[in-house]
Amino acid sequence: MNNLLVTIGRGVGGVVGTLYQAGRDTVDTVIKNIIPFMAFISFIIGLVLVTGIGDLIANGIKGLAGSLVGLLIVSIVCAIPLLSPLLGPGAVIAQVVGTLLGVEIGRGTIPPQYALPALFAINPQVGCDFIPVGLALGEAEPETVEIGVPAVLFSRLITGPTAVVIAYFASFGMYS
Amino acid sequence: MNLFADAATVAEPEGAWGAVAAGAEYFIGIFQQGGEVLWSLMGGILPTLIVLLTAVNALVRIIGPEKIENLGRKAAQPGLIWYPVRYIVLPFLAVFFLTNPMAYTMGRFLPERYKPAFYDSAVSFVHPITGLFPHANPGELFVYLGIAAGITQLGFGLGDIAVRFLLVGLVVIFIRGVVTELITTRMMARKEKAAA
Repeated sequence: MNNLLVTIGRGVGGVVGTLYQAGRDTVDTVIKNIIPFMAFISFIIGLVLVTGIGDLIANGIKGLAGSLVGLLIVSIVCAIPLLSPLLGPGAVIAQVVGTLLGVEIGRGTIPPQYALPALFAINPQVGCDFIPVGLALGEAEPETVEIGVPAVLFSRLITGPTAVVIAYFASFGMYS
Repeated sequence: MNLFADAATVAEPEGAWGAVAAGAEYFIGIFQQGGEVLWSLMGGILPTLIVLLTAVNALVRIIGPEKIENLGRKAAQPGLIWYPVRYIVLPFLAVFFLTNPMAYTMGRFLPERYKPAFYDSAVSFVHPITGLFPHANPGELFVYLGIAAGITQLGFGLGDIAVRFLLVGLVVIFIRGVVTELITTRMMARKEKAAA
């Protein structure tokens, strides 16, 4: 009987402790990662909505983000091996562009079914800045890193636009 | 009868001072708008996000991320059937359980020639997964959330795009893995030939 109680107590204690720790971790990331970015994004949205920048951007990206060809051009530019590591860090550029596109989708400049291919078009550079570190985390040899960096960068030139085309066809019937 | 209807009419400032005042209002207006957006984000997404993150974090802790290590060892095998495991199942589970950036440590179970491809595959999944499982990459949510905000503003639900983003993401990481593996193998072969 005593044993049973101890086991139950331990089990419950473990679960509660885990949940509590999970909550603590969550609040940590929310404060350290999510809210700062929300503040930054809010400022950009405010700037875009109040000033005329929004209309300028709208005119600029209407042709690019509102058609398959335009999105392909965006994805190829973002995948250029010299450019992609510069565009990568922290996905800041992808997040800002994503937010700007979101504003334009909300205003009706870009039809909502383009949201899916756009998500891939603005992001072929994902992780291109991080290849050596990522490979080191996978305990890769220096020789592998030497080959892996260009291999991933060149692969993106092919797979970046491919992803946009797949997403374009996968977006049929969405929000229309 | 409204006693206050015309009581408080103050003349708008005019001339140079008026321009300054208008400029100040315009200036502060940018931040008021930004503040409204921030408030709607913190009131709208954030509470749901906190609860969701807590639940999934707890689930991951209870299951134990080390469980997927066996799969990593299996995925190291050559052969066609292991391609989807290596470039769809393993990246998905790695990103889900280990999250960005620890997911890439799963590469250590793979032979050298697969490592760049696995990295490419895993890192390409850290955004498509955020539509449904934001815990995997909480620092980079706005690639998806930014665009999703526009959809919400139009009055549509987000389920459709979140699921499609995830599924297309899985297809894309598979293609990335296969293509990068091909390029890596060729480059390694060429280098060996040059060395010999």
